[in-house]
Amino acid sequence: MTAPILTVRDLTKRYGGLTAVNEVSFDVQEGEILSVIGPNGAGKSTIFKLISSFVKPTRGEVRFRGEVISGLAPHVVARKGVVRTFQETTIFKGMTARDSVIVAHHLRSQASLAGFFFGTVAARRDEDAFARSADEILEFLGLDAVGNELASNLPQGHLRALGIAIGLAADPKILLLDEPFAGMNVDETRQAVERVRAVRDRGVTCLLVEHDMAAVMKISDRIVVINFGVKIAEGTPEAIRADDKVIEAYLGVEDETIGL
Amino acid sequence: MTNSRRAGSVAAVAVFLAAVFVAIPLAIAATGRTDLYYTLSSVALLAIASGGVWLTFYIGRINIGQGAWALVGGYASAVLVTTYGWSFWLSLPVAGLFCALMSMLVGLPILRLRGVYFSMVTLVLTEVARLTALALPITNGARGITSIPTPGAIRLFGVTLVPGFETFANRNAPFYFLSAAMMTLCFAGLWRLVHSRLGRLFAAMRQNEELASSMGVNVPLLRVVAYAISSFLGGIGGAIFVAIAQSIYPSSFTINDSVNFMLNCFLGGLGFVFGPMLGTLVLYFGWDLLFQTGQYQLLIYSGVMILLMLVLPNGLLSLRWPSRGRP
Amino acid sequence: MEQVIANGLYLGAQYALIALGLTLIFALMNVLNFAHGQMYVLGGFVVYEVYGLMKLPFVVALIAAAATLAVLGAVLERFLFRTVIRRSEREESTMLLAAGVAYFLDAAILLIFGEKQRGVRKIVNGVFMWDNLILPWDRILVAGLAIAFIVAFILMMQYTKPGRAMRAMAQDRTAAQLMGVPVAFYGLVGFALGAMLAGLVGGLLVTITGVNSGIGGPISIKAFMMVMIGGAGVVGGAIAGGFILGMLESVGLTVLHSYGDVTYLVIFIAMMIFLAIRPNGLMGKPWG
Repeated sequence: MTAPILTVRDLTKRYGGLTAVNEVSFDVQEGEILSVIGPNGAGKSTIFKLISSFVKPTRGEVRFRGEVISGLAPHVVARKGVVRTFQETTIFKGMTARDSVIVAHHLRSQASLAGFFFGTVAARRDEDAFARSADEILEFLGLDAVGNELASNLPQGHLRALGIAIGLAADPKILLLDEPFAGMNVDETRQAVERVRAVRDRGVTCLLVEHDMAAVMKISDRIVVINFGVKIAEGTPEAIRADDKVIEAYLGVEDETIGL
Repeated sequence: MTNSRRAGSVAAVAVFLAAVFVAIPLAIAATGRTDLYYTLSSVALLAIASGGVWLTFYIGRINIGQGAWALVGGYASAVLVTTYGWSFWLSLPVAGLFCALMSMLVGLPILRLRGVYFSMVTLVLTEVARLTALALPITNGARGITSIPTPGAIRLFGVTLVPGFETFANRNAPFYFLSAAMMTLCFAGLWRLVHSRLGRLFAAMRQNEELASSMGVNVPLLRVVAYAISSFLGGIGGAIFVAIAQSIYPSSFTINDSVNFMLNCFLGGLGFVFGPMLGTLVLYFGWDLLFQTGQYQLLIYSGVMILLMLVLPNGLLSLRWPSRGRP
Repeated sequence: MEQVIANGLYLGAQYALIALGLTLIFALMNVLNFAHGQMYVLGGFVVYEVYGLMKLPFVVALIAAAATLAVLGAVLERFLFRTVIRRSEREESTMLLAAGVAYFLDAAILLIFGEKQRGVRKIVNGVFMWDNLILPWDRILVAGLAIAFIVAFILMMQYTKPGRAMRAMAQDRTAAQLMGVPVAFYGLVGFALGAMLAGLVGGLLVTITGVNSGIGGPISIKAFMMVMIGGAGVVGGAIAGGFILGMLESVGLTVLHSYGDVTYLVIFIAMMIFLAIRPNGLMGKPWG
């Protein structure tokens, strides 16, 4: 096995007296789809914010290709190739889908900001490249038809895709997806699952935080289960399905929702 | 940009330049209303400072502290010219840069504040500037700095590019051309900025700072950059104002000025780079016209303002942001 | 030293009352009331008219000031702020409206009451002396009244139905509305109450420092500072901010006396450093 792309070690976050995440450790391998799941309030979203560095850990660390990234500013982490997406409410409401994706190419700029101001050759080259790349990404995610729509006018399904498009524009090595299937019906979920697979097939490692068990079981190479801020299981979907602790944590949840 | 639109923009710019640099001076010469030179210079300079405020609006911060930077810029230029004997022409960019630098120091902590908090702190900042001017020895306290010499000539290799302002019969005329030229330059720069990549990043930050930082935008840095440019414009405007008045006091720019800079932006419309220019013109002349009403001037002015807010709560032109980043 | 602390408490009590009104309006309506200082000035002038010129008892004058401002606040909310909040696309529009109202009140006060500094006769005579502490009785009375008003306000917010409704509204306007709180009505009540508090302080202080038409703006600035120190929209924060500013001013005027008029400069700079560390003030909720 090669070195993992992302290592999470003893990650702990306390808010006052409350421990939201307690000594969670796991690895993400290059090119896999790994999902972090758990019942509501288990600490999933805190883990997500910790990895994307929007929240600083109380203890423990996150390493990207061996380099500590926890505690760095979010934009620095993004610059290294760890890019997060948001749920559909977090978009640039006043911009078109295409403009949002073009702006999101920020990290690929060769020219300086002053260069863009004065319209240097490098800046023009960048602008052309960004526009081409944005069109490619929009087409890849099936958004080419709505590229010139205002983001605030797009339906929910397209907004999810737009969120991923903005993430891809930043040229990620690993994409962190925040509940990509939340609130979707069966059909939408099937499309969204395909979308995440396609992103992985572009060579982008995917880390999901999700509570739709059925979708997670279908898509993940491996799964990490969190309950009360503690990791209770880790393994392939088959192993997780058979894990007593997981079944216990989800007790009271109808069997079909956890994909049993 | 299509060719017809480009032609339209070029024509608009040509009309603007012709109006400002040819038609207005000719009209003033024909009517003999040379006092208008002073009035219009004021409008131009206030518009420059308001343009700075507009830029902070553009990144999503309501700035009621531009008076502070106008004061700092004015004092910086005045001190350099009187105490150190610098040429005004050299002191002008240095005053602007001094404001930009100082605003970076101040901006780093206060730009973390959002919404009303940022507005209140910037308002307080205007008071800080006034009190500092009162307390420091170099600014000469409440007595201020007076008898500042007018800008001298600019000579390059023995050729006089700009004659000394003291050689003009009416000193307000060269100040008008200086102010109008600076305004044109500043707004051209602002327009270019907003329509370049940096402007689009600013717009992205305004709409969602977290999303912007997730795609690798150094949001804290760009906020400070925008604020520094804003303060630079405030400082330039203040410095030229002081050169016209030939004096500066701690009360030369107060909280009222800060509030007015903000009003100019709102009135002109926030979605339009040239909005502050229009807003300043309308407010300044509106205020001037009401001068005849004597003691009722402020009452009528504020009454009209309240009515405008009731009827057009989204601004004279439009408070809508442009739906697309470029024309 | 005792003198400095006593002065600080005296200032703090009135400042806290000013800040309470501002923070109440902010919490309920999300409006930053730029005209708060002008409301204070108006309260002062009403007491000057009723107590100073018409020679009616001070209590009557104070009630008149409170009533005038409550009506003014209610009218402003009903006919201006409510409309603009409903029609405008951006929350900040109310800030402009408030600035316009501040200018308008400034102009109106100047026209009606003139530009002269006005004072009234003392409400009680004599000086309280103890050890090396010297305090005029009227200052003690004013501070006592201010504290009594603060306590009454807190009790009202805690134990009465309107108080509970307003607290619910400050926490979550939509949720309060769903629970059946008539938010439009309590917005009006809150605005009237906030304006009334500003008028009460103005009415109290005219007996000591007098009043003139130009002090509205500076009073507003001080109120903003207290609210920022304590945290916007929080009752406890406003009170804490008021007492902290009062104490800082009192200590500063003594300690920094020899350096000239720099007390407020030092306080401003200290506050900006403080806000850099705690952007939401002492007890404020995260904003925006």
